[in-house]
Amino acid sequence: MSVFEDIKESVIAGNAEKVKEYTEKAVSDGLDVAEILNVGLIAGMSVVGVRFKNNEVYVPEVLIAARAMRIGMTVIKPLLANSTVRERGVVVIGTVKGDLHDIGKNLVAMMFEGAGYKVIDIGIDAPSEKFVQALAENRPQIVCLSALLTTTMVKMKESVAQLKAADVNVKIMVGGAPVTKTFADEIGADGYASDAASAVDIANELLAF
Amino acid sequence: MELKPDFNRIITTLKHKEADRVPLAEAAISYEIMSQFLGKEVVDSDIESQVEFWTKAGYDYVGLTVGMMQPGKVTEDSAISKMLKSISLRDTADQESDESWNLEKKSFIHDDMDFENFPWEEAAKLDYSKFYEVQKYLPEGMKIIALSGKIFTLTWMLMGFESFCLNLVLNPKLVEKIFERVANIQYEALRKIIKIPNVAAIWAVDDIAFGTGTMISPAALRQYVFPWYKKFGQICHDNNKFFFFHSDGVLWDVLEDFIEIGVDALHPIDPTCFDIEEVKKKVTGRLCIIGNISNEILMNGTPEQVADLTKKRLRVLAPGGGYMIGSGNSVPEWAKLENYKAMIETVQLFGRYPIQI
Repeated sequence: MSVFEDIKESVIAGNAEKVKEYTEKAVSDGLDVAEILNVGLIAGMSVVGVRFKNNEVYVPEVLIAARAMRIGMTVIKPLLANSTVRERGVVVIGTVKGDLHDIGKNLVAMMFEGAGYKVIDIGIDAPSEKFVQALAENRPQIVCLSALLTTTMVKMKESVAQLKAADVNVKIMVGGAPVTKTFADEIGADGYASDAASAVDIANELLAF
Repeated sequence: MELKPDFNRIITTLKHKEADRVPLAEAAISYEIMSQFLGKEVVDSDIESQVEFWTKAGYDYVGLTVGMMQPGKVTEDSAISKMLKSISLRDTADQESDESWNLEKKSFIHDDMDFENFPWEEAAKLDYSKFYEVQKYLPEGMKIIALSGKIFTLTWMLMGFESFCLNLVLNPKLVEKIFERVANIQYEALRKIIKIPNVAAIWAVDDIAFGTGTMISPAALRQYVFPWYKKFGQICHDNNKFFFFHSDGVLWDVLEDFIEIGVDALHPIDPTCFDIEEVKKKVTGRLCIIGNISNEILMNGTPEQVADLTKKRLRVLAPGGGYMIGSGNSVPEWAKLENYKAMIETVQLFGRYPIQI
């Protein structure tokens, strides 16, 4: 088994120590940092994402895998700056104003990180202005809005409008328990994800990867 | 139309037989909705008005909350919030800020030391006074359902969800200890509640799933959570009480578990992701179901849309008993009164057996 496979399987198993060990070995062997990232770390999280989507693993297993992947990322982070590897994209994510729920948002954020995106999490109870500010500061390709309540979901419309006014090119995705594709279309969102596992797939489609 | 409460209607339905009409059932209805319905303010301490509401709206029971946490969001009135504010935050300058006591924003138990230092004895001091005060207001035929539970939710809230999930894998003994402590408190409360006159059922409110399935694996639920709820069910049945359970989300993988642990009725069969007609086919004669008029339609729909959906549910699900009409989650303050009334009035008009819609 190649060291990339070892890294990938260790991410899938959520074994942070082994991920660190194999990633350090790959670095010391002079292997390409892009391959360590894509063929090792991201490939492992990708498998976890599919299994999560299929209800073969659950939130704890996803978080353990994400934790393991992050440890591998800390090993290669100093090398990434000097490499040609660039993050896949930048995502701003937050739960809308009046809503305190963050489980779903955090899972989506983890899936994006696992897929190689840089994630800016602006937290819960975020008014439209905070989304717009994050847009200006970070120039993301994707902004994700989350809501768990029917009452807070309605805040998304205002946020979508303000974001589009600020940057007509940014892709806006919405999600959360009460959100539907119909609602997403009505408020002018570019994408809707019914669950954390499919959010990355939708984003990739929007950015035509 | 004068409505006479009769809990026997619910008992007949739970036994998968047809009563005189389909019962209404709800885990939580906001005081704002009660106030609008009655045309006067209803507050938590006003038990008489609460009974008036449940009677006039057509229910056969009064729902009263007890336990460490209210169903729904964490509030200042929750027993655990009051305890956290008075004990854990006593010396903290920011104890008035809900950032410091609200379990939706802050977690308290991260390691064994936090567990040992947590004021469990204080958390176990629950207030049952409402259950005694209500006795003098109950009309004939009306019973009490005690809303309780939250073993899973309270455990992860005390730890923070991410910390809970990581520790479930990395330090399961800590998680198990917290589950056991929380469950013991809720179980001891249950043992007291079922002895109170006119308490006919316990309704455990504990969201264990979301739109794609259970939050943790069914195996973990069977290890840590369901054994406790089996004890809940057992003690209810040993005392001729019934056991209701509320969870949002998709529950296919644990539907048989609910039956096995003794749940008599399951709510709300989440309309956003869980097909109630398919569920009914699977559990007919074995598990009563309650629901599932969606909260979105209660908020954004019209009375006609609510009435149409309610009639559809009655037509398809009510024949043969084993079904009660309720919301898709709860009746919160942001539901439109006219839509809520459309739901309950449709049951009164079209919910008589035999169903002829």
